[in-house]
Amino acid sequence: MSLLSISVKPNRFTAWLLSWFLFAAGISLYFYTAQKRHQENPDDRVVPTLAQLGAGLYQAAMNPDADEEPASDAAGQSALERFRSGMLWKDTVASARRFFYGLALLFPAVLLGLHMGLFPYFGTFFLRFILFFDKIIALSVLPILFIAFGIDELSKVMLIVIGVTPTIILDTFNLTKSVPPEQIVKGFTLGARDFDVAYRVVLKQIWPRVLNSIRLNLKPLMLFLFAGEMIASTDGLAYRIALLRRHMGMNIIIPYVLWVALLLFLVDLTMRLLNKRLHPWFREA
Amino acid sequence: MKLRPTLLFSVVAALVLPLAAQKPAFTVGWSVYVGWNPYYYMAKSGIMKKWADKYGITVKVQRFDYAPSLEAFVAKNIEACAMTNMEALDMPAAAGIDTTAIIVGDYSNGNDAVLTRNGVTFKNLPGKKLLLVEKTVSQYLFERGMAMNGMESQIKRVHLVNTSDSDIAAAFIADTSHEAVVTWKPLVSQILKTPGVTNIFNSSQIPGEILDLTVVRTDVLNRTDGSGQKFAKALTGAWYETMGLMSANGADKVLAAIAEGSQDSLQSYKEQLSTTHMLFTPQAALQLATSPEMKQKMTLVKTFCFNHGLLGESTKSMDEVAIRYPDGTVEGKADRIRLRFEKAYMQAVSEGKL
Repeated sequence: MSLLSISVKPNRFTAWLLSWFLFAAGISLYFYTAQKRHQENPDDRVVPTLAQLGAGLYQAAMNPDADEEPASDAAGQSALERFRSGMLWKDTVASARRFFYGLALLFPAVLLGLHMGLFPYFGTFFLRFILFFDKIIALSVLPILFIAFGIDELSKVMLIVIGVTPTIILDTFNLTKSVPPEQIVKGFTLGARDFDVAYRVVLKQIWPRVLNSIRLNLKPLMLFLFAGEMIASTDGLAYRIALLRRHMGMNIIIPYVLWVALLLFLVDLTMRLLNKRLHPWFREA
Repeated sequence: MKLRPTLLFSVVAALVLPLAAQKPAFTVGWSVYVGWNPYYYMAKSGIMKKWADKYGITVKVQRFDYAPSLEAFVAKNIEACAMTNMEALDMPAAAGIDTTAIIVGDYSNGNDAVLTRNGVTFKNLPGKKLLLVEKTVSQYLFERGMAMNGMESQIKRVHLVNTSDSDIAAAFIADTSHEAVVTWKPLVSQILKTPGVTNIFNSSQIPGEILDLTVVRTDVLNRTDGSGQKFAKALTGAWYETMGLMSANGADKVLAAIAEGSQDSLQSYKEQLSTTHMLFTPQAALQLATSPEMKQKMTLVKTFCFNHGLLGESTKSMDEVAIRYPDGTVEGKADRIRLRFEKAYMQAVSEGKL
């Protein structure tokens, strides 16, 4: 039986078929359930049909939020203008801004981790505290966060920072420590100064691994962003989902969830390609 | 996806165990709220079991968070659920689930409130941020307050911040840059302890508009074996027996046991009861359910739901989600009745016929 053999090589067609099988099964099962439920109850909102999902997506993409003050020139806009004033785009922009602030704040974290790994005074000063801080579940001390950062934009970004940066700092620290000390000594004997060693010898070679670590942390980052938007907000992708749950708007929630998945996939893909491009010598992932 | 194996299992069970006559089983879902906590006592004290046994059925009383309880009801995982008149309209009824309210338990008489700091009133709310759980009775209360203060045209100028009910008290208390919040008890009581916060509008100014109901799926009531009817009777019977104990003299012991259902103290529970108009007797509930004002108030709530798209984006007219009142009149299209107020069970209790 070759199914349980490690050394088999499925042909192209089989591989293609197998890799799409679970998608096809999931989609079929979904639409079968949708059809079944709509036969029993034509107004069912829990499992919308394809037509309803399409209508939901169109409505979300092309129409502004019904509770907003209508724009003065709502009529006569082009499709692109309507999309840009639609609720999907506005929510995406709001969430994306928070996401990239959070992401940008991971880079100081990388530098801190590097310095902690290389410079003993930095290490002793920060390491113990960050090890402790890393274990704090930020979501359980929300009232303290509210006092410190309010409940507007800052608190959402800070929730991401508190949730994700300790992991990145500690991971960079470990990666720094894993650089063979011989290389550092060699750098010094070749006349490098401290910062040359830090940035041009160590950082340079751990950078692709750090990028991979950030890629792995995109999902926690997104989780903290969603948690923040669900706690208190006026816009954003998770805000919309939280609101639509109030009246079972699954016809819009499902397109939103798929949209978020697509965006996250694209960010991850971009980072992977970037990593490959910047570090062609790196072969691990 | 879970449905299939369950179905298969029940088919197999039906074939294998034809003789083991199972008692029909039902589940009623409730969530923590002053007017629904009696369910906790009803189950714990054995009152529910007594009534279920009398009708030869099994009734499970299950505690949920509010939103999941609604979702479970809409997904048909549970047969009965405690919810407000507004959610009965915008969750099951709008999702095409024909729903019958068999008990009108109470109405909010101050439990829901608009609170502000720094002396902010409805007049200067426009342009400010307001914390609340959007698209719920909180938003309804806020809009009614604005309307009653002549500010209806300014409603859209208030910036609503959708805030989770689990964090809203902490958020408002901690972040003093926000000046207004709408929420419900016991959160209201917590927030009011903060210096400088005042209650500018509450549900006692719109009595009878925010109703707390126990609803059953109509298809359950219409089951041909009559078990759904038995379920409704057992539930109503047990409910009013509990209500009787709650309202009797020296009921502190019962009230303390009910308060335990939400890990509340007797004192705090009594404080919440003082702003809840409990309809302890079936007569009181019947009187409210059959009054002409009831229809006007339901129309207000339905209009709110429709204006905010809560009846579904595809619902083009309010008449597509019709309400049937106890006197048989229908508001909306007769072939699209989705919410029914049924007085038979409350009446049977009041006449001692259960």
